[in-house]
Amino acid sequence: MAQQLAMVIDATKCIDCKGCVAACKVANNVPEGQWRNWIKQDEGTPTPGVLPTAKTRFQPGACMHCENPTCVDACPTGATYKDKETGAVIINDALCIGCGNCIPACPYNARFRNAVKRKADKCNYCPERRAHGLLPACVDTCPTKARVFGDINDPESEAGRLFRKNKAKLVQVAAKTDTKPNMYYIGDPGLQDWAGEAVIPASMIAMKESAPFIKGIVGLSGLGVLAMLSRQLFVSSDENKENDDA
Amino acid sequence: MPNQMYKRHDRSDIFIHWFNAACWILLLLTGVGLIQHSAIDPFGSGYPEALRAMVGGGGNLLTIHEGIGLLWILGFVFYLIVNFKGAKFFLSEVFPVSPERDVPWLFKKMALMTIGPKVLKDPTLPDQGYYNMGQKVFAQASVVGGIVIAVTGIIMWLSDRSLGAEAVGIVSWSIFLHFIGVGLVFAGLLVHIYMAAISPEERPGFMSMFTGVVPGDYAKHHHRLWWEKIKTENK
Ligand code: HEM
Repeated sequence: MAQQLAMVIDATKCIDCKGCVAACKVANNVPEGQWRNWIKQDEGTPTPGVLPTAKTRFQPGACMHCENPTCVDACPTGATYKDKETGAVIINDALCIGCGNCIPACPYNARFRNAVKRKADKCNYCPERRAHGLLPACVDTCPTKARVFGDINDPESEAGRLFRKNKAKLVQVAAKTDTKPNMYYIGDPGLQDWAGEAVIPASMIAMKESAPFIKGIVGLSGLGVLAMLSRQLFVSSDENKENDDA
Repeated sequence: MPNQMYKRHDRSDIFIHWFNAACWILLLLTGVGLIQHSAIDPFGSGYPEALRAMVGGGGNLLTIHEGIGLLWILGFVFYLIVNFKGAKFFLSEVFPVSPERDVPWLFKKMALMTIGPKVLKDPTLPDQGYYNMGQKVFAQASVVGGIVIAVTGIIMWLSDRSLGAEAVGIVSWSIFLHFIGVGLVFAGLLVHIYMAAISPEERPGFMSMFTGVVPGDYAKHHHRLWWEKIKTENK
């Protein structure tokens, strides 16, 4: 089976230290004011000295490298695609021109337009680090090992083992558009319905819907040329001559 | 009287036409390879992947397409500097349409070329000027389409070079307009290439895109109003 890189996160282990957020920013040179990952929480920030009414739950997250990536559907050039080998959703920086179509198409708000590169940006599971045998920065840095990364289709991997063992109680964030996210939570991650709807920009919808018309017009024109060509080739030149001299 | 030759195209006109045609073909081939989406992909899949593999990735294909596109625009700037008068003449011949001459000409010509003279009660075509209505339609589409394609192309080119996040709507609509513009001009181009290069009756017109001149009997037959004008001027 092909790989499916994913994160299996034990939300109850997260202590909201934001180490993953900082490590990601450093590893990936993410511009000021922008983030590739986050920790969400379901209660207000606790005030010192005040006993919280309920236990605050933390939910580490990032791009969920979905099975059904709506962001990929919003991209006209294939600059963002789901990699067949690893199952990761990748952005090809060299091909992306930063048109922004994919950004509202992500119901989890995992994408942003990198203010320096002016291209789409999001978590890519740190391919440079993986190439050197290292884990993604956020996973490597996590002091409580809440984030576990790996190929969930490989039963030998840590992620695959956790995925299998907890299959019945795994939780995914439920967006209004079901993208089948590959971000699985063990333990209570708190809020599960914060995600929105995948919005494909009107310009992209217009392009998709006009494509059959354009093909139709080109086809008609091609048929016209074929009709003219067959007259030229098969109708006796006498008749053509007649019309020429008219 | 020998068949006198009349000047139809300046050397700069011939240059810009073939330069434009070469750029168009390369831009089409590379541009189609930049669309990779099952709902849009003009040829169905396989082509973009193959082309990208050939040039070492989608990013390289984009760079090549952008390079040729910029060269194409520069070529037109160069032409406008060298022969602004010619461009003005071209536009003044191409855009005015005579409803009583040109419109019937177009419909009759389409019927004649595809079905034949028998479908028409009166197959005589109204006289035409420097360009016939078919040429005018295509030329109008190329001018308007060309401007749309060039402007939206520059917007897309600037997108990841200098435009900010607030401009993404404009960039995304530019992609759509670029696609529509190319599609419509391409539909016309099929007919244009047939008429200009394959149809035997236009052979002297084809040669004129190399030599710059057409024989008098061709001018008289195909562009009578123009011929009447230049015939007196040349005497
Ligand atoms: C490679 C194939 C092409 C051939 C063989 C070709 C041939 C010709 C010829 C022979 C003419 C002169 C017609 C005359 O003055 O009587 C012409 C004119 C013209 N060509 Fe092309 N051309 C080609 C490609 C293109 C392309 C790609 C474009 C633009 C998208 C284009 C745009 C025009 C325009 C606007 C005119 C003037 C108006 C007209 O004659 O329709 N041509 N072409």
